[in-house]
Amino acid sequence: MSETKTMTINMGPHHPATHGVLRLVLELEGETIVNATPHIGQLHRGIEKLAENMNYQQVIPLTDRLDYTAASLNNLGYCMTVEKLMGIDVPKRARYIRVIMSELARIMGHHLWLGSHALDIGAMTVVFYAFKDREKIMNINEELSGYRLTPSFLRIGGVAKDVTPDFIRSVREFIEVFPEALEGYHRLLTDNIIWRKRTMNIGTLSADEAMSWGFTGPSLRGSGVAYDVRKAFPYSSYDDFDFEIPVGDNGDVYDRYLVRMEEFKQSLKIIRQAVENLPEGPVNVDNPLVTNPAIEDVTEDISALIRRFKIQCEGPTAPAEEVYHAVEGSKGELGFYLVGDGTAQPYRLKIRSPCFLLTSALPRLIRGHMLSDVIAIIGSLDIVLGEIDR
Amino acid sequence: MEEVKLIIDGNNITVPGGSTVLEAARSAGIRIPTLCCHERLEPIGSCKMCFVQINGCAEPQQACKTRVQDTMQVTTDSEQLFSMRRESLRELLLRHPLDCPVCDKAGECLLQDLAYEFGVTDVHQHVNATFETFYPTSLIRYWPERCIVCKRCVTACAEIKQLGAIDIKGEGPTAQVYPAKPERCESCGECLQVCPTGALTENLSRYKTRPWLSKRVMTTCTYCGCGCQMQLNVMNNRVVGMTVPNVFGVNKGSLCVKGRFGYEFINSPERLKKPLIRKNGTLQETTWEEALGLVASQFSRIKKEYGRDSIAGISSARCTNEENYLFQKFMRAVIGTNNVDHCARL
Ligand code: SF4
Ligand code: SF4
Repeated sequence: MSETKTMTINMGPHHPATHGVLRLVLELEGETIVNATPHIGQLHRGIEKLAENMNYQQVIPLTDRLDYTAASLNNLGYCMTVEKLMGIDVPKRARYIRVIMSELARIMGHHLWLGSHALDIGAMTVVFYAFKDREKIMNINEELSGYRLTPSFLRIGGVAKDVTPDFIRSVREFIEVFPEALEGYHRLLTDNIIWRKRTMNIGTLSADEAMSWGFTGPSLRGSGVAYDVRKAFPYSSYDDFDFEIPVGDNGDVYDRYLVRMEEFKQSLKIIRQAVENLPEGPVNVDNPLVTNPAIEDVTEDISALIRRFKIQCEGPTAPAEEVYHAVEGSKGELGFYLVGDGTAQPYRLKIRSPCFLLTSALPRLIRGHMLSDVIAIIGSLDIVLGEIDR
Repeated sequence: MEEVKLIIDGNNITVPGGSTVLEAARSAGIRIPTLCCHERLEPIGSCKMCFVQINGCAEPQQACKTRVQDTMQVTTDSEQLFSMRRESLRELLLRHPLDCPVCDKAGECLLQDLAYEFGVTDVHQHVNATFETFYPTSLIRYWPERCIVCKRCVTACAEIKQLGAIDIKGEGPTAQVYPAKPERCESCGECLQVCPTGALTENLSRYKTRPWLSKRVMTTCTYCGCGCQMQLNVMNNRVVGMTVPNVFGVNKGSLCVKGRFGYEFINSPERLKKPLIRKNGTLQETTWEEALGLVASQFSRIKKEYGRDSIAGISSARCTNEENYLFQKFMRAVIGTNNVDHCARL
């Protein structure tokens, strides 16, 4: 009687294809995975705890460091949660600017996914094109906010400042050139026989199973469930825009790939509408307790000085209530659960990380596949450890 | 005293007759914003913040000055009252300088807090008056432009200290605090303690810290045996100021000039921190073991040579009761003498 012995190996946490510092303990039988255990927490910075000792405005830069591939989306989720808690209604122009920033961030996140996913599987060319185009958005971010990766441009009650004509011009330029670039990505991968062989019927998850694992975002839509927070619970004026939710059929790596590729297009469509219909008006809520007075007023008017002093040194207070608000992040439903206690600091901030739930399904998806497929599957879930570990 | 039943914001409240509406509201946990009212002072009624609506009265009334009556119906919050309060604050700010960034009080300034809470905007300053900045004590600096003339300081000086060293002069936008009888001033800082704004600041600790940067350490004053409670403001391990909680300890916020201003010795470089022994005519630093050993051996020697009553002890009011008790116990039981005295016997 022959006896099979399994072998246990470590993948990560320093493996470039684990998209951060994920450590997978794999049990192999030959090259086939019999079991896998994800170990997380190596990028834990205690963001939720840190937030408890900061005022509401100060937490914004921390959120950039969750899913840092699409930072503005985290800003949006957090700011909207605080606004819900404080009962603030953001002016329309600010909401549109937020949508533009968010969708640019989504494209940026998808660029990173596309480049590294293809690179992981061996299609090296794609990453150069993807990063070349991602650079354009980084430049737009830089021009607007001074930061390339982590703009922190949103504020509670609006955005940091109004957009410049230069910003509008560069966004328009991007809208012009991007569809062709997108075509290029498709030409490199979509009908590529190697790509198809590596991704089709790999890591397949049915719609029911995806839902019961708590999947959201493109990974859920790849399994054919048309759930998108932007449509299901429209926020920040998303119901003003016309866009579709792409879904897949089989729920395999290839379908998730197609869904994200289509999302590039839809995001672009939203940005185009937002830029063309950008309403005039203020970009910050007119609320003396939240909005910083203009610096010119501060040098003349004691009440403005007092408000600026209080807002900067102590920050606006939130009532002792609790709220949950979610936005469609680039990886799925990014939710913030926030408890206020009447002071200027959150009592508790809990982040619902979509990637955490995606990672929990990794063993189920990997089991039975070859070692080399592990990489394809991780890539197709598009996890980011900054958000899982928080 | 007879009880009075009244309704405040729909709550049935019973309070002793003779209370003010403000006291009644506070006893029920209803907040009426105030600026001049202070828990240790009689109602002043200068800030025009505590207006409430009372059924049967056409005009809003000041809650701090109105006595409760049976079946009174009081509303403490309405749009009209809110805007009246905001207007009162706006008036107070009309002559206010743009000082918050350099004001020691900023961060725990009642005026600042209320101006922010009520969202005061668009203050168009137009008052240009010249003020006198002389103050009866050099330990306190008076900033007349920051003063909202709430009269807390004047009332505290007269009511708590019974001195009346300061008073208000002038009217309306040119009113200010002035030293009416400077010779009476004891530099106790009672006025500084009650001032809700940064109009009175301690001259010793100017610009050294911010309220939220310093650590507040509760302690007991060491100057005498009264046991006054005080709060040292500590920054970078240095004492930079003094704040006293208003409703605490035997002193309830009051201190004498030594207690309130005499804290600089704590971090003085001249302070003795190690025992000294005179050797060959000069004082030299030494260890506690050596110093105490020397004292003990000399005590034993003197006692043996000249008898126990050749030694006497005098204790200090800066010690606690327990320390003084131990001291006399030591003199009587260890040395064996009744020659015990204390500096506070005078
Ligand atoms: S007294 Fe208050 S409002 Fe005036 S400058 Fe000082 S902190 Fe600001
Ligand atoms: S010095 Fe302070 S306590 Fe005195 S009247 Fe002016 S603001 Fe009021």
